[in-house]
Amino acid sequence: MVMTATVREDVARSEPPRSAGRRRARRRTYLWSYVYLAPMMVLLLVFVVYPIIASLGYTFYKWDGIGDPSDFVGLDNFRQIVHDSIFWRSLGHTFVYAAFVVPIQLVLALALALVLNNKKLRFASFYRTLFFLPVVTSAAVIGVVIQLLVSNFGDSINSVLLKLHIIHQHVDWLGDPHFALGIIILVGIWHTFGYNLVYFLAGLQTIPEELYEAARLDGAGRFATFRYITIPMLRAVGVVIVILAVIGTFQIFDLVQVLTSGGPFFATEVVNTYIYHLAFGGSNANAVQPDIGLASAASFVYGVLLIAFSVVQVVVLRSLAKRRGTGGLA
Amino acid sequence: MTRRRAVTAMTHVALLVSGLAWLYPLFWALGSSLKSDDDFFTDGLNPMPSHFLWANYLNAWREASFGRYFMNTILITLGTVVITLVVTSCAGYVLARTRFPGRGFCLGLVSATLFLPHGYTIIPVFDLMQRLHLLNSLWSVIIVQASGGVVFGTFLFMGYFMAVDRELEDAAQVDGANFHQTFARIMLPLSGPMLATVGLFTAITAWNSFFIPLVFTLGRPELRTLAIGMYAFIGENSTEWTLLCAGTVITLAPIILLFVLLQRFFVNGLAGAVKQ
Repeated sequence: MVMTATVREDVARSEPPRSAGRRRARRRTYLWSYVYLAPMMVLLLVFVVYPIIASLGYTFYKWDGIGDPSDFVGLDNFRQIVHDSIFWRSLGHTFVYAAFVVPIQLVLALALALVLNNKKLRFASFYRTLFFLPVVTSAAVIGVVIQLLVSNFGDSINSVLLKLHIIHQHVDWLGDPHFALGIIILVGIWHTFGYNLVYFLAGLQTIPEELYEAARLDGAGRFATFRYITIPMLRAVGVVIVILAVIGTFQIFDLVQVLTSGGPFFATEVVNTYIYHLAFGGSNANAVQPDIGLASAASFVYGVLLIAFSVVQVVVLRSLAKRRGTGGLA
Repeated sequence: MTRRRAVTAMTHVALLVSGLAWLYPLFWALGSSLKSDDDFFTDGLNPMPSHFLWANYLNAWREASFGRYFMNTILITLGTVVITLVVTSCAGYVLARTRFPGRGFCLGLVSATLFLPHGYTIIPVFDLMQRLHLLNSLWSVIIVQASGGVVFGTFLFMGYFMAVDRELEDAAQVDGANFHQTFARIMLPLSGPMLATVGLFTAITAWNSFFIPLVFTLGRPELRTLAIGMYAFIGENSTEWTLLCAGTVITLAPIILLFVLLQRFFVNGLAGAVKQ
């Protein structure tokens, strides 16, 4: 949205050419502009826009994905999704995942960013690399590593944690519904933590040094500086970071599919694995036969929920940032 | 001042220890990839192998088909990066620099898709690929992954080209350079850092991608990428632990190396994206 505003400014500056020769040159420029733009637009229209429209069409059919859809069932698929308790449970698990991952990740990332933002700290970029590195690893492969660790050495981990009094009885890590989701949450925090660290570091670097100096001259302590300078100055970037983090957590698929495939007994099923199991079959008892119509209906309902949720989120966070932002600086 | 120095030293120790602990799963996988099956069990959570068994890599590469998966992943990543860079640099250039009729519509469409949730439309894409007879080739994965990244890349290039001084192009045009020469000889060479950012971002996403290659290689094991190979392998031979760890290293090491070498482009790109 910010970008389109700057674009218009740029357009307004270019003057319309006048003479006939110039008009021909301009027409040639337009023609080549379309040629340059065409590959991007074709990919976008064919593989992003068309599928959104097409999947809406599938929702009205009972279809296993073989041949053409012909068994028209009207709104039956939507009715079935809305009445499927597993759909709502998957939605619940997705929200629980986001509700744990986003706040924990943001608090930890902000804390580490404050430490690393110190200009006198040497090797800061080396430490940043260490904590950022999981971002570039494949979530699926990390899932395999965690599975190897937990399924072979779950007992060793148990005894270490028992000794540290973190747990009080032996735990079947991926077999217990609560712990399985807990492990997915922990690995999720670990895997995408680095994004938030880099975002916060970028945000901190936009705060002018003079503000901190002025605060120091006024005798402000560390906490007061953090509370009255850092936090208000980070609000604009903070809104973007929260939105990106929430959107990211709602896309969770790889980790769950590899670690538990939604099990045990749907205890870790998230919406994306639910849709996948509906569309392509899999470990789900209710998805032995692929049901493309039902999967498309679930996708559509989830898509609408997500759009509604992100619009509300953007509006709420923006107004919150504005109101508190001016209040904090006044 | 000595107290200050002590605090600094403590900070470094804490950062180094927690940073290395943070990467423990990676160290454990690396160490275990060199262990024998017996050592794998007796060493347990200790990542350090007592002696180095390189044969695991040979077995993973040859017998567990990781060599084939590696080549597939390289081809898919290269194809996706090349297509994405060509398509998005051209589109970003004209969106930033020419004011053709319909530009507003194109920009609107591109911006709108930024807000739409992705990944829920794999079924029609699958169906489309089937109709185009591309289903049983790596091309399906390459095209779908490239089209997933075009919006992001186009925006980055557009922002970059808009910041370039217009006088450079005017001078080139006075010298008689045509549309393509201006783009290829003046603008594209200037956009080196952005080519690196978008290229690296695309490479990491393509290399690690799971959902798209999973769906498009369901019936074709020979088209699997490394990530899909790992997933399939743990489903079929979950007891070949050391082989799986070797597969992990084969999958993660190339992209980690690439990232460490080029990380400033990646980190700057991310930082720029959030500040806009």
